Amino acid sequence: MNLEPVARPKSAEPWSRTTTQSRLLQVVASLVPILISAAAWLVLGVDPIVVVVFILLPLLLISIGTVGFLLKGKRGVPDAILIVMTLFLGTFVMVLLLSVVWSLFDAGFRALSPHFIYQNNVYVTPTDGLEFGGVGHAIIGTLLVVGLSTIITVPLGVATGVYLTETRSNGRGFVRVVLQAMAGLPSIVAGLFVYSMLIVTGVSQYAGWLGAFALVPLMLPTVSRVTEEALKLVPQELRNGALGLGASSWKAFFQVTLPAAKSGVVTAILLGVARVVGETAPLLLTVFPIAGTNLNLLEGGMATLPTYIYRFVALGFDTAIARAWGAALVLMILVGILFGLARYISRPKSIKKKKVNR
Amino acid sequence: MAETSSLAPVKRALRVKPATREDRIFFGVSAAAGYSSLVFIVLILIFLGVQAWPTFVEQGVFEFVFGTGWSSTDVQYSIGPMLWGSVLVAVIGVSMAVPMAISIAYFIEFMATKRVAGIATVFVDLLAAIPSVIIGLWGLTIFSAVGAQWGQMINSALGFFPIFSNEADSFLRTPFIAGVVIAVMIVPIISSVTREIFSQIDGELIKASIALGGNRESTFRKIILPVSASGITGGVLLGLGRALGETVAIFFVLNLIYDEFNWFNILEPGGGAIASLILGKFGEAIQSEVSALLAAGVVLFILTLIINSIAAFIVSKAQPWNNR
Repeated sequence: MNLEPVARPKSAEPWSRTTTQSRLLQVVASLVPILISAAAWLVLGVDPIVVVVFILLPLLLISIGTVGFLLKGKRGVPDAILIVMTLFLGTFVMVLLLSVVWSLFDAGFRALSPHFIYQNNVYVTPTDGLEFGGVGHAIIGTLLVVGLSTIITVPLGVATGVYLTETRSNGRGFVRVVLQAMAGLPSIVAGLFVYSMLIVTGVSQYAGWLGAFALVPLMLPTVSRVTEEALKLVPQELRNGALGLGASSWKAFFQVTLPAAKSGVVTAILLGVARVVGETAPLLLTVFPIAGTNLNLLEGGMATLPTYIYRFVALGFDTAIARAWGAALVLMILVGILFGLARYISRPKSIKKKKVNR
Repeated sequence: MAETSSLAPVKRALRVKPATREDRIFFGVSAAAGYSSLVFIVLILIFLGVQAWPTFVEQGVFEFVFGTGWSSTDVQYSIGPMLWGSVLVAVIGVSMAVPMAISIAYFIEFMATKRVAGIATVFVDLLAAIPSVIIGLWGLTIFSAVGAQWGQMINSALGFFPIFSNEADSFLRTPFIAGVVIAVMIVPIISSVTREIFSQIDGELIKASIALGGNRESTFRKIILPVSASGITGGVLLGLGRALGETVAIFFVLNLIYDEFNWFNILEPGGGAIASLILGKFGEAIQSEVSALLAAGVVLFILTLIINSIAAFIVSKAQPWNNR
């Protein structure tokens, strides 16, 4: 028997991977294609998308691939391709998404002014400039409609979360799948549902509360799923302790489990609100958008931010689109506030996730 | 001795069922709430179905779903082109979004440092929260011109393929542009599901792969992808469901044609989408047309319900840690 150790190929020594020299090589290999592409774009005036796809990407693949081959041998080449493609695709889509955010802030801030926030639209025609008129009525409408929707959804969603975590019923898996499927309910179908149930049958005219009702099935899955996650994080020992001291299940829940999961439940509510605050289609089918302020959810039309954006985009004039951008920025700030609050409340305190860094 | 025994807890019968009335109410209410989601779905089907029934009877289900032609004067309604258009746009969007979403998830989980990963995660989640009407506005005012230029380039380079040909003069308002807008919308969704799956992969597996001499690429191809394949599939289907149901953004950026198929010419203006059809026709619809639009809603609902149920089933199988 020959027990001599097999000679280890140099490329399989992970500890010899990074030296100053290899780092330098990598930096040079990634900088050179970028510089060449920048030169082609700025000096020769080639179209940026052509530069990126036909010059930058192939050059990066070749240079990083070569460096990979030099440092790790044959195994380094696919690694290099993987890294370049990952970063390339990731950057590409990030550029698109950042373009959304940037244009939102750029065009939005141009429309924004104090009176844009609090005035309504009664005397505004689509071709008017931004000197007067605003989205005050739409902000109020959004808060009212979404607020009513939240009041209906939260008890339902939290109770669903309770059903999924606190009981051992056999139907939980099924309910989970139904909730997941409902999370993908097309928003326009929710609008059609309320339209066919309450407007066609003559129960009510177009009104704010119909819009609020149409948002319920869209909000419910988010609220109940996040609540479920939050309740799951409460240690089982706490419940067992409460039950062991003689509490009944509902007391154990309301006095021990729910206070322990309080921040998670609040997060669930905020995320649910953030999910529906920008929904347009259901409100278009159930609430008639008007130019004035209306505080009555039970009667009459009501403007909301998403339908305001939709209406002004559909008008098509430049001035109308500028208004739509302003409203879009207000809406996004609203979503951002909700989202930021949710992150802040649910920030990890002591739980740290194990993470593998390759 | 007798006194101490009186201080001892009262003996209770050992039960697995709720013992008191309050508990029964508590569990009853939570179970009722749990099934409320099911009630919603059934109610949606019933009310839409009742209103849509005349259309299904008059037009015939098969003819309504797969036929061509939408005219309120002839009382002839078929959503074939729109159904196909929805699928076409969704497939373009998803096929572009998947590689990008996986790239982002891979970067966050396996390449970035912890700090960068944290920031990127928050950013991607925030992008997932951008309302679709804003993305539609961006698509209409900012991206359409850029996308038309891209379309023109693809056409001049690969125009000999029938799907990239363009008989019309314009490259605006094409299914391609709508697909890119949809991709921008669903990348954060697919990416956050994929990231979640990646983050739960057993670290030992990856260490073992490295110890056996695996490199980054072979670890990705032979460990990470197979382990997370079903989860990613579920995430992709969720994105597909979202893409099929998207209304306003597609309405803004696509030239809607109601009575003609645009089979594969993704760079030509013109296409359809069920949800956008409903939005576009709803305002001035006469009674028979409203019924037809509700019927279109039923078709859309059933389609997305099937896709999402499959997705939910796959995701729940792929994330056993969620089904405790």
